[in-house]
Parts: sequence; structure tokens; C-alpha cells
Amino acid sequence: MTQAAELPSLGSMLDPRLETFTRVMTTKAPIAQTPKELVWTLNKAKLYRYVPVLPPEARHPVPLLLVFALMNRPSILDLRPGHSFVEYMVGHGYDVYLLDWGVPGLEDKDLKLDDYALDYLPRAIRKMKAITHSTEFSLLGWCIGAILTTIYAALRPDDGLRNLLLLTAPLDFSNRQNLTFARWTDEKYFDVDQVLAAFGNIPGEMIDYGAKALKPVENYIGNYWKLWDNIDNARAVESWHAMNTWVTDTIPMAGAAYRQLIVDLYRNDRLMQGKLSIRGNMVDLKQLRANLLTVIAEGDHITPPCQSEAILSKVGSADTELYRIPGGHIGIMAGSSAHKQTWPHINGWLATRSQ
Amino acid sequence: MTANGQDTKPVDPFEALRGVRDAYLDSMSKVMVNAVNSEEYAQATGAFLGGYLTLTAPAREALDKAMLQALEQFSLPSRQQVAVLAERLTHIETRCDDMDAKLDRILELSVSNQPRGDAIPSRSKRTAKKASKSTRPRTRKS
Repeated sequence: MTQAAELPSLGSMLDPRLETFTRVMTTKAPIAQTPKELVWTLNKAKLYRYVPVLPPEARHPVPLLLVFALMNRPSILDLRPGHSFVEYMVGHGYDVYLLDWGVPGLEDKDLKLDDYALDYLPRAIRKMKAITHSTEFSLLGWCIGAILTTIYAALRPDDGLRNLLLLTAPLDFSNRQNLTFARWTDEKYFDVDQVLAAFGNIPGEMIDYGAKALKPVENYIGNYWKLWDNIDNARAVESWHAMNTWVTDTIPMAGAAYRQLIVDLYRNDRLMQGKLSIRGNMVDLKQLRANLLTVIAEGDHITPPCQSEAILSKVGSADTELYRIPGGHIGIMAGSSAHKQTWPHINGWLATRSQ
Repeated sequence: MTANGQDTKPVDPFEALRGVRDAYLDSMSKVMVNAVNSEEYAQATGAFLGGYLTLTAPAREALDKAMLQALEQFSLPSRQQVAVLAERLTHIETRCDDMDAKLDRILELSVSNQPRGDAIPSRSKRTAKKASKSTRPRTRKS
């Protein structure tokens, strides 16, 4: 009798959980909601300006430009209202701009790091400077965005870059033993030209698989258990939903840029060795003179800490800081503790250098 | 706990198994991370990808050829031709951006040459408002 009475309650308990699980797995969460306006476009690239919430006199005079990776959407910087780095920085008085690289088409397969760092980025910066009437600016580069901003900062040291923030920056490829990607893309096993001949651009699904396969159990199994375990916690579910929406929105990477990433960086470590040629100019990191903050995620399996440490001794900046924080490649900026640790540290560092 | 000491947390049938499951996943995770970090895994995935691309290359080529012929029959442009057109549009856009930069520079110089008080409002400020497409959502969820 007791067992029979318990059976329907078990069913009624599972039903709403399954419903939530299905909803989260089959729908997209509303992300990137902070109000913004489009101020510049070129090809697929778009420059957005976030609508300031503080009066001009309460804002920092030096604008901040956010540059994310080429193979994911930048919406991770503005994940959801109440938990958005962009919203946080706008609320702390920064004039925030975001460069969205867009989704490359077949016609963009020849775009190289050269084009992104020396064509698109400087043009977007010029527009931002024209709008803000500021001769100086700050740049925040995350992941591949950090590679691009580093190249730009070293090749255009007189453009007015005052502060450079590098998040989980894959710049040093010398410690190959610690780099799983370097092993997978070794020329003994991986024919990058054959892949590019077949696809033109590197498909987003392939990049996604590469990132997830580094920790297959966590990404393909543990992640879903985590959702199920917290299915009654509405906050946790919405957070998971937003992150899953971003993770599953994969985009391809321009073929020529991918080739440079593999051949010039992963295989030959040309940037740190001072042998990386961008539009015929060697990238000399000593020319990078902006104030520099490098943020390292100690548990980063995509960009292990060893890839971001050496940059400080290579640059010509007088003001440098290395900030280590527990967490993963994405978690340090979009995880549940980001607003308590990473964002306040970035704000504290940048605020004193944005007057 | 409620006032009468009863736990209000609903019964979770998976609770008892959770510890076992987590321990199993942890050990599996370590095994898999070691596996994907090995030379053998790199070699195997490389061989699989290379083999797949080599095997499917003739089919891809045949499909591309057939598609090209079909599009020609219907007087439609091929993907390659559309890509070339898109490249040309990007070149035009780049030229427009160059002109935009020059205009901004000219206006900046003309403003700096104006006597104080006659300054022309910045073009960037005016055009940014006019030309920009607002992406502000109508309602904002909190």
C-alpha cells in the first residue's frame, strides 16, 4: 500500500525535471542582452558600442575594446543579465566596445592573422577613437583574441594603446609536452593542408570536438549529470542553459588563419621566438609597451598556464602584472565566481590606468 | 528542516548512487585524459581524419562537378562565383572605410582650424547615431 502510494509521487517528481531538462536541451537561452549599438562593419566584422549607463563625467575617459577568439561567438562576454562581464564593466563606468569577427564564409578562407590584426582591428580601433575622441584606448584580448591583440600591440605601438589585458593567452608554444593540441596537430599525424583543401574553412564542429575531446568525460557526460543534479535549482539551470547556448553555437575559422595558428604557432612557436612574420614585418614583442595585465586560469586545459607566462619577460612594457586565478579557460570569465574574483581584479587594475 | 523536524527536501532516488557515479566518472576522466594526451591517440585520430578525407575526396569532387554543371544549366552562379563576388564587395567596403577615415580626418582638421565657438559637431557622433542599427532589445529580462 505504501509502495503503491509512493510510485505516483516518484513520477510526479520526475516529470517536471524531465520537462526542464528537455527544455534546456532543445531551446536557446537569451544571451548577449546588454543594450548596444552597431557603429561599424567591414565584411563580417562588426563593432558594437554598449550603451553607457553612467553620465559622461562618471565614466573613465579611456575606452575599452573587447576582442574575442575567432572560432566562438563573443557573446560569452555578455552571457546573461546579472552575470555579464560587459554589463559589469559598463556599470563601472567604462565606455565598452566589442569587436565581433562574425562568421567567415567560403570567400573568407584566405583571411590570415595578418588581416585580422593589421586590417580589421586597426580599422575598428580608428572608428572607436573617432567616436570617443580619445587618442588612447584599452584592449582586452581573450584566447585567440589575445594573440591578435598582442600582434597588433607589438606592430602598432604608437596607435595609442595604453592598457592591454590578455586573458588565457596562448602565446608560448615551446612546452610541447604540456600541449595536447600541439600533439594532435603535429605534422607527423595531421595534414592541415589536406583538411583545408577539403573544407576551405575549419568547420565549427571540428573545433568544438577538439576542445571537448581534451576532457571527454567532463564534456560529454559529466556536464549533463551536473545539469541533472541541479535540475531543481532554477538559477543553476538558467546558468547552465546560457552556457550551453553559447557552447553549442559553433562557428568556423578562416582556413588561412587556422593554418598560421597550427604551422607558425603550434608547430614552430614563432611568436615567442621573434620569428613570426606578419605582412612582412617581424613581430618584436619588445615593441609592446602598453601597460600589461595577463590573466592565467590555473585549471585551463585549452591554454595551459605555461603558454601565458613567458610573455611578461618578452615585452617592453614597464608596467606588467601576472594574475593567476583558479578556474578553467572559460570559467574564469563566465563561471559563477567570475563576478567575485576575475572581474573585480580587472576593474581594479584598469580603473587606475584609465584616468 | 521544518519546525517539527521533518526534512522538506524531496526524495532523490539517485542520491544513493551519486557518490558511486562521481567516483566512477572521476576515474574514467583520468583514464580518458591520459588516453587523449597520448601519441597513439594523436596518431589514430590523424589517421582516421586523413583516411576519411582521402576516401571521400573523389565523391566530393564528383559532387562539386555535378553541382557546377547543374548550376550552369540553370544559368545560376556557382558557390565559387558567389564567393568571388563577396570578395569584391569586401574590397568596396574597405574602400568606403578608407574614405570614411579620410572624411573623419578632414572634419577633425577643419574643426581644429575653426575659431573657438564655431566648431562643427563631430561627424562620427552624428553619423554613429544616424547610421547605426540599434540592437537594443525592446524588453530586458532581469
